[in-house]
Amino acid sequence: MNEMNNELVPQNDPERMVPATSEAPEQRLLFTPPIDIYESEEGLVLVADLPGVTLENLELQVQDNKLTLFGRVNRYVPEGMLGQHEEYGVGDFLRSFILSDEVDHERINAKLNNGVLKVVLPKVERTEPRKINIDEGE
Amino acid sequence: MPVFRWGNAWDAFRDLEREVDRLMGSMNFTPQGVRLGRTFPAVNFYEYEDHFLLTAELPGMTKSDLDLSIAQGVLTLKGDRRADEVSDNNYRRSERYRGQWQRNLNLPDRVIEEGLKAELVNGLLKITLPKAPEVTPRQIPIQEGGE
Repeated sequence: MNEMNNELVPQNDPERMVPATSEAPEQRLLFTPPIDIYESEEGLVLVADLPGVTLENLELQVQDNKLTLFGRVNRYVPEGMLGQHEEYGVGDFLRSFILSDEVDHERINAKLNNGVLKVVLPKVERTEPRKINIDEGE
Repeated sequence: MPVFRWGNAWDAFRDLEREVDRLMGSMNFTPQGVRLGRTFPAVNFYEYEDHFLLTAELPGMTKSDLDLSIAQGVLTLKGDRRADEVSDNNYRRSERYRGQWQRNLNLPDRVIEEGLKAELVNGLLKITLPKAPEVTPRQIPIQEGGE
């Protein structure tokens, strides 16, 4: 567990209801999307399943050392059904992660493809140790 | 003068709740709400006046990874969800479904099989199945037994 804490820690974002706002009077469901995290040559790679999320509806944000992804899913089932059987709920996706100092925040890049988000988190390049000259005091 | 009120009786409970939340929050286990350990893909089924609508979450799948067929009132969806080529040792976390999958769905009513329409957009599959027009009930003549 400690090893994982060093680099990328998924935060617990329990499933909960988003408070209704004036622009969206209906209650929206919020889900935690399943993710993979693996190491590659480019750095850590984060993959998240966000079915139904489009580029316009996806927000990816780094603030301080917290990476947050939020994908909005607009209701895609027409009203007026006579009956329904649901195995999954339709709602938005939210999950956040704590980044370690090893991640180069400036070079984070992301792609969204067929409802799958892939974020590459490159590691900060290690700089060579620099010798510091010490002048002899008088 | 302190007066007992039911409203106050719950405060202790709320403190406990908060304390437990705090403890849980500090642990790093899989959060609830993660769509884990369930059938892949999850399918929703809706009935309308003249058609059925089936939706399934298939993130990362493309048309060519997907195989749909219908026979005798059973709709079969199958496919293969390939993962990136990563050695298992490099995984820090693996929650997403990988590999082959298949779902066989019994349709509750007759549908016009030729009229099926399917679209896959942003990892969401939508299949529209028009209902077959009601077949008029056919009377079955009963013959009198015996001589």
